[in-house]
Amino acid sequence: MEQLFYYLKVSWFSVKRAPLPYMLTVLILSLGLGVFFSNATFYYRINSDPLPAKSDKLFFPMMLLVPYQCSNCKPPSVLSYSNIAKLNASDIPSAKAAMYSAGGYLRLNSEQAPTPVNVRITQRDFFSMFDVPMLHGSIWPDNQARDEVLLSKATAEKLFGRTNVTGQQVLLDDRLFTVIGVLDQWQMLPRLYDAFNRNYLNPTEDIYLPLESGYDYNYLSNTNSSTFEDADYRKLATDGRTKAIHQLQYWVQLDTLAQQNAYRQFMANLVADEKAAGRHPSAEANQLVMMRDIVSYFDGESGDIKAFAIVTLLFLLVCVFNASHLSLNRYLSNQYEFSLRRALGANRSQLQVQLLVDMGLMSTFTLTGAAIIAYGGIKLMNYLWPANSLFASWDLQLMLALAALTLLCSYLVTLYPSLRASFGSLNKQLKE
Amino acid sequence: MPLHLLFKSLLRRKMVTALLLIQLAMTFALLLNSMLLAQQTRQKLQQPTGLPLQQTLQVQLKPTSVSLRQYPALGDLLVRQLEAVRAIPGVVAVAYANQGPLHEGGSNGNIHDPDREELSKANGVPLYNVSADFFTVLQLSVLAGELPQSEISIDGIAPSPVVMTKSLANKVFGSEPAIGRQLNRGPVAAVVADFYGQRKRNEVEINFNSVQVAPLWNADWGYVLLIRTTADNVEAVRQALPQVLQRVDSNIEIFSVRTLQEQLQRLYSNEFGLASLLSLLSVLMLLVSMISSYSNAYFHTLKHQQEIGIKRALGASKRRIFTELLSENWLSTGLGAIAGVGCAVVLNQLLSQVISIPPLSWWLPVATCAILLLCVTVATWYPAAIATRISPATATKAL
Repeated sequence: MEQLFYYLKVSWFSVKRAPLPYMLTVLILSLGLGVFFSNATFYYRINSDPLPAKSDKLFFPMMLLVPYQCSNCKPPSVLSYSNIAKLNASDIPSAKAAMYSAGGYLRLNSEQAPTPVNVRITQRDFFSMFDVPMLHGSIWPDNQARDEVLLSKATAEKLFGRTNVTGQQVLLDDRLFTVIGVLDQWQMLPRLYDAFNRNYLNPTEDIYLPLESGYDYNYLSNTNSSTFEDADYRKLATDGRTKAIHQLQYWVQLDTLAQQNAYRQFMANLVADEKAAGRHPSAEANQLVMMRDIVSYFDGESGDIKAFAIVTLLFLLVCVFNASHLSLNRYLSNQYEFSLRRALGANRSQLQVQLLVDMGLMSTFTLTGAAIIAYGGIKLMNYLWPANSLFASWDLQLMLALAALTLLCSYLVTLYPSLRASFGSLNKQLKE
Repeated sequence: MPLHLLFKSLLRRKMVTALLLIQLAMTFALLLNSMLLAQQTRQKLQQPTGLPLQQTLQVQLKPTSVSLRQYPALGDLLVRQLEAVRAIPGVVAVAYANQGPLHEGGSNGNIHDPDREELSKANGVPLYNVSADFFTVLQLSVLAGELPQSEISIDGIAPSPVVMTKSLANKVFGSEPAIGRQLNRGPVAAVVADFYGQRKRNEVEINFNSVQVAPLWNADWGYVLLIRTTADNVEAVRQALPQVLQRVDSNIEIFSVRTLQEQLQRLYSNEFGLASLLSLLSVLMLLVSMISSYSNAYFHTLKHQQEIGIKRALGASKRRIFTELLSENWLSTGLGAIAGVGCAVVLNQLLSQVISIPPLSWWLPVATCAILLLCVTVATWYPAAIATRISPATATKAL
């Protein structure tokens, strides 16, 4: 330990002897790492797997079940109610749920000012498929229409000032609903169950309503809907259930390869039956997309973040080269001191330990600087790209990655100079 | 100093020179692509929209009660809101629409001539249901036909006539006259000048718009009020609007009140954000390169004091020493720029795989090289000036 303090003391004296080049080296390395890390935070969070245990078991089926002929068409990203009814006929999936989102206004009574809320209109398997935690109450016993809703924890607290509100009544768009459950703190990031049009960047919803009730009360999708025949979208309860009004996302859970193959076959058979009935004029274009591939399938990957990732990596490289350059100059200036120590009996390994301590000290300063710059960078990126703001947080894994990267960069920066200082010709160095 | 001697001098410090060249090449590549992206964003923000951007306000709103979102209560609410807004001093004209221009996504549909559907079809055209003053607010000039003067339902027996933009008329009918022709959504009443409707990948399709003067039956997705003001009253009207609308009926949620100029900037906010970040990074990279050049020149001066002293003793003027040091750095910048062109092309290719970025043009490398040379000159000026102060007497220390 005493020896370590000695090495630290020598390092500190070396810093004090030429503080400007040292500060510049640390500043440049901190800049490179800080800028790289601020973007890496978004890149890592946006591309993370929200359900690692299930993301290869949840699938998004799509079929070209539309009343027009289309060659080389991708199937619509949303399905109609009647499409869902046909897909729902299969008992191959372990769980299945249709869903969409809508906007609404929530309040306790008609005297209160309404609060705008995002509503997820879905079926009961949604909660088990996406591991939604319950805090109070329970979910709907079946998929029938019912005037019962589930609230997010934040919505319950905002509306009632507490979370245990099962059995209470709320007004959603002037209609009375009973709260049958409250979710625990839950934020699926990225929200892959609604991946189309980069909706996966949005927060989870405030309130959950049964799908059949959503159709009965004419809730229109606020993200993605299409009509493929002469149908009135204002009549969801009737036209919505029978005609080609597409607004439903559909997820199935297929736990085994056998289930997945069986479901693909089921979809192919369904197309064949529909073709035979004259309801599928186009060629088969079935898709069964795994949850972890859904963003790339919808071409929704964040190009800006990717582009900036390329550029920040380049910047980090420039900073590492620059810091190496500065470090080399600094070591070459101090070469006489190293040579003198070698001449006085210090062996190469002792010099290497001294250089490792130098690196440790530099890493500490650099890590502090990089964390401050990364924090500022994240704030700036949140300001310029507010849509990504949910993905700005750090976790232990990310912090450890930053520390490891800082150590690696500091090592690379001091590697060549230290080799040159320790392994050069002693006679030549002393002459210089 | 002859070029081969400058090269020789650089080669004496192989490692340091190599590190400097790599940095300069990468800085050059990033600077060049940042300039390209900034230029593209600027062009997008300054592209002609056919709309009075500064003097038009757009209010995005939605009734909070179900009944107010349906006809006839919605119709009555719209009449009252239009009347109240018209009465604000400085308002020239006001109109409602199911959606505003300068948006990404919205209420779209296909437009085609039913007699030759496959040949004339335009997909994903924004469909506007508006009040008659829509054209006055947006100052859209009529190129052919007559604008409808009253609201007619879009799904009645005789549907509301269609007003289409010139680009859309050209797409559907080619060079043939459009007035009186039947579309899948109704007869064509007029053709108006192009205006920027929705953001599309294809630059021509941004001007595809189909407008029908019709009542709004439903506002589940909200609607917009478009208000044109006199030039000096934009801010005053913007301030007054929320209160005026809340007084008409408090059961509404106002999402935003923006000028169309602000709406356009919002439409390209991602590109603007990336261009801003890259510009900031370019400045940082230039700063880093300047530090590198400075340290390189400074260290070189310190290390070669005796050599410079000998040169001075042999008759080299201060000016010659100064120029020699600057020339060395100019040479390394030039070499870095040559390598940088290759790096810039590679970076451009990489970026074009994830974002839309135009290819490099010939003048950009020249401009980038000039910026880099200027920065390097500024950075090495001080060390070069120090070198000129080395006395010829220093040469004697070498003996």
